[in-house]
Amino acid sequence: MDEVATKIVEILKKNMKSQPDKEIDMETELTDLDIESLDLAVIVFDIEDTFSIEIPYNANEESGDFNTVGSVVEKVRELIGNSSDAVA
Amino acid sequence: MTGQGVVSPVGTKVDKFWAALKNGDSGLGPITFYEVTDDLRCKIAGEVHDFDVQKDVGNIDVVRADRFSQLATKAAMEAVEQSGIKDLLAKDGSRTACIIGSGSGGLTTLETGYRDLYRDKIMRTNPLTLLRTLGSSAAAHVSMMYNITGPTFGVVSACATGSHAMGLVYQMIKYGQIDAGIAGGSEASLNWGAQRSWEALFVLSNTGCFPFSKKRNGTILSEGSGIMVLEEYEHAKARGANILAEIMGFGMTADAGDMVHPKVEGAAGAMQIALDDAGLKAEQIDYINAHGTATKTNDVTETNAIKSVFGDAAYDVSISSTKSMHGHMLGGGSLVEGAACIKAMHDNFIPPTINLNDPDPDCDLDYTPNEGREREVTYTMNNSLAFGGLNTVAIFGPAPK
Repeated sequence: MDEVATKIVEILKKNMKSQPDKEIDMETELTDLDIESLDLAVIVFDIEDTFSIEIPYNANEESGDFNTVGSVVEKVRELIGNSSDAVA
Repeated sequence: MTGQGVVSPVGTKVDKFWAALKNGDSGLGPITFYEVTDDLRCKIAGEVHDFDVQKDVGNIDVVRADRFSQLATKAAMEAVEQSGIKDLLAKDGSRTACIIGSGSGGLTTLETGYRDLYRDKIMRTNPLTLLRTLGSSAAAHVSMMYNITGPTFGVVSACATGSHAMGLVYQMIKYGQIDAGIAGGSEASLNWGAQRSWEALFVLSNTGCFPFSKKRNGTILSEGSGIMVLEEYEHAKARGANILAEIMGFGMTADAGDMVHPKVEGAAGAMQIALDDAGLKAEQIDYINAHGTATKTNDVTETNAIKSVFGDAAYDVSISSTKSMHGHMLGGGSLVEGAACIKAMHDNFIPPTINLNDPDPDCDLDYTPNEGREREVTYTMNNSLAFGGLNTVAIFGPAPK
């Protein structure tokens, strides 16, 4: 796992209600983690804060970006890329 | 009453709190929670230093909550643990209430959020800001922790909050609506903005908290929470609970006068209603835990109110303001002081009013100056006289035989 993935897993673990020792990889589905809607809002906030990005997340809409840990990591990489482009 | 819990600047957990009061220890000291700017006149507060939410509570929802909810949860944990009703609630919490209030709820969350947003232009707002701020969030967190599915909400009455919560639970039990209830108040509003707004009212001291003393010059803000578990008597008896005390009577009134200048009639009225509810005469009360804020208007008015209700017995009853040690916990204070009443009864010991070497001549009752003393204590009275003229008085007695 690269730095982005490691940090995201850390954030997920910090906000899980149980299973602190659960193995998490890129294939892990978010629905398999003990995370509720409010936790997800906090996780999005933590990720935005950590990577200085803005995630277009809406708790009321279905989004493929939040299916697996890998899809979150991909989305964050993409947004980091965009924000560096914008700076450049 | 089958359980009590305390978080206070002189100690977290009832036994530590009570040992400090008996000893006359002060929990007030220099502010460390925020940057003390030169323009602050009062640089003293009663901060709670022996509480660690990760270690002491652990529950992730509470760890992410405002501190006022964290302190309330800690106090509730102690009270519920002591009462022994946890397993009962886990099975069915529908005939249980959870009423926990706060004077100003998540004021520190608001202060931090607005500072980030308006001053520091941080445009990302923590998604828990709103939930942390709600004055009902302490009650909500405790209800979730213990599966309480009966009446659950917060109440607000500034410095009488915890006592109003207790009064409501007491009345719900009397009315037959519930078998048990968790009641109390919590406050954790020690922040720079709040300190400034209290200073602007000219009610804070810059030297210390000296109730009933000639040198009294205002109160000292502190934080904390006091929670009680109340239960219908037969319910407690049937499960063999250790009954700590009986709520003998409760009275509440409003001055309908002024936001900051209390009236003798309002406080006296609440005391009389509580005595009538308890079926007791004033001279039967052994100890009064006074509101005793160390402001001129409170101390003299409260003294005169006691005289008007107690008559000659006013000079025989032991009184103290334990705020001299733990400061003014605002909405969190009244049931912390209630815990002092219960312990006074169990130990037959009157906690002192410290810093009282030179009493105000207008305050001429027995405030138990500087050192606590032994005295047989059967009935105690707990006064809470809040801003806005919102008064509560509770009377506690021994467990029924």
